[in-house]
Amino acid sequence: MLVRLGPVLLGLAFGVLALGPALGPGFVLRYDMVFVPDPPVRLGDGFPRAVPSDQVVAVLSAVIPGEIVQKAILLGLFVLAASGAAALARDALPGGGIVPRLAAAAFYAWNAYLAQRLLIGQWALLLGYAGLPWAVRAVSQAVSPAVSPAVSRGGAVRLAVALLPAAIGGFQAMLVSALTVLPVAALRQKGDRGEGGGGGRARAVLTTAGVLAVLGLPWLIPALASVARADAAADPAGVAAFAPRADGPFGTLGSLLTLGGIWNSHAVVPGQEMPALAAVRLALALVAVAGFVRLGFVRLGFVRRPAWWRGLATAACAGVLIACAGAFAPGAPRALIGWWAGFGPLRDGQAYVAPLALAQAVGVAVAVTALRAALPAPVAVAAVAVPVLALPTFALGAFGRLGTAGYSEEWRRVQAVVNGDPAPGALLSLPWSAYRAFSWNGGRVVLDPATKMFSRPVVWNDGLVVGAGDGTRIRLAAESPRARRIGALLAAPEAAPTTASPTAPLSVPLSVPLTASPTASPTASLTAALRREGVRYVLAGGVDENTFLSRLPGAALVYRGRELLLMRL
Amino acid sequence: MLKVLAALAVGAVLAGVASVAVVNVAAPTAEPPNKPLYNYGDR
Repeated sequence: MLVRLGPVLLGLAFGVLALGPALGPGFVLRYDMVFVPDPPVRLGDGFPRAVPSDQVVAVLSAVIPGEIVQKAILLGLFVLAASGAAALARDALPGGGIVPRLAAAAFYAWNAYLAQRLLIGQWALLLGYAGLPWAVRAVSQAVSPAVSPAVSRGGAVRLAVALLPAAIGGFQAMLVSALTVLPVAALRQKGDRGEGGGGGRARAVLTTAGVLAVLGLPWLIPALASVARADAAADPAGVAAFAPRADGPFGTLGSLLTLGGIWNSHAVVPGQEMPALAAVRLALALVAVAGFVRLGFVRLGFVRRPAWWRGLATAACAGVLIACAGAFAPGAPRALIGWWAGFGPLRDGQAYVAPLALAQAVGVAVAVTALRAALPAPVAVAAVAVPVLALPTFALGAFGRLGTAGYSEEWRRVQAVVNGDPAPGALLSLPWSAYRAFSWNGGRVVLDPATKMFSRPVVWNDGLVVGAGDGTRIRLAAESPRARRIGALLAAPEAAPTTASPTAPLSVPLSVPLTASPTASPTASLTAALRREGVRYVLAGGVDENTFLSRLPGAALVYRGRELLLMRL
Repeated sequence: MLKVLAALAVGAVLAGVASVAVVNVAAPTAEPPNKPLYNYGDR
């Protein structure tokens, strides 16, 4: 029983250690991780990035408090990742005992990829990451229809179940999963039961692609429809903004090899760039890669090459190549995105390093198996702690980078007013910027909570601003057509004084009302224009109330608080 | 015996590096400033 539960318990322990203060009362709000109380079930405008993850959270939050749902998901990520990696290691090393499995579990549940994606709030992507080992196992275990159609159907169902976390996570989780499971299906080797020949491989690829397509329908249909209507814009400038970067002394390639290299310098664990720590992680990565390669090329008695080895190796190489393209050959992804917006997800290439993490986890298990043969068991067991020692500052919510906060009464009252109004019409969220840093959230940057809180369409600026590191900013065009139109209204010369700062798109909603004349005619046209765009409410945070209201004559002040101002047009 | 000693040495180095890292970051660190408007992030 302990052998079976060991990886689960290890994942749980790592989850508690990593999340630390984030398991306290309140919501964890950081970058893309926005959970809100009583979230409504609705589809948003623009590219379906949070489909169906937001809807699943909304349904669960109708039964269980949202903050409990969030903590269960975050802890579940660690448990799922650790137990899956252990199960894959068991496939590779069936006679290896519990220690190599625990080592694989520890590595997969405690590494820079998981830490950085958690710190940038991409829990939905991490659902795909956590389910990846289970999906690889399911693909490699699915037998050929030539053996038995009934068993084959069972394999497809197993694959669908294994891909369920990724399906809930949405497009990015599914893309990372597809990158991994399709090569595994295509390159599956003949197993002990004689399954997996050429015809079987073709059918396995078709079955896998079919399961991926069906599970991806919730976001695939709106995404492709949006691209087909040509109203989806994927700004090629995003390649420069989201390309991998060096987060340590070994350059971008070294960072990617050690599973780091995320574009955002605020999404690294504290002290990650320290040379000594980076050297330990690099050594661990090299040992892990060597172990994985050894598994594929050396017959070691009870160690055999698993059916998924070639596919996982191919996926790991492909993932690193995609990541490297953004950093070393940005012209290629820029051209692809410029040609078809559907290639937009390639811009954040470091996300595709996930299969390398899985390959390294298996490689660590192989290395620990060799270590066990050479060293007394207690010393080998200590190897389980190495991933934590190589990235110690991931602990305790990355030393406070992750924490909890409670929404103020103002947010709840505004939510009640807007969601209690049966009249149609969108809500416009200002200031015209996607991200906020609230004092009540410890100054942590987070996506505007208004995007998740209301049961009506919310118009927000989904055009992103990324600091380039040299003092300049990279501005990406908004993706939602309505956001682009309203952004143009807010930034129009007749609405904004010509003396506005060069950073106007970022500061217009604050600077314009403060400097525009209260009697200027453009204010009336702004109200009318917003009404024509179907806007019923304007929610503004942190603005000068007196001057802001003068811009929207005819608007009724519905709620006024210290932080929020709600107007009905 | 030699292998055990080598493993212990590696473990001690790892623990030392980890301790230094933790002590360094346990000091107050600069979080992103508190602003109503903020970049998605900085490279």
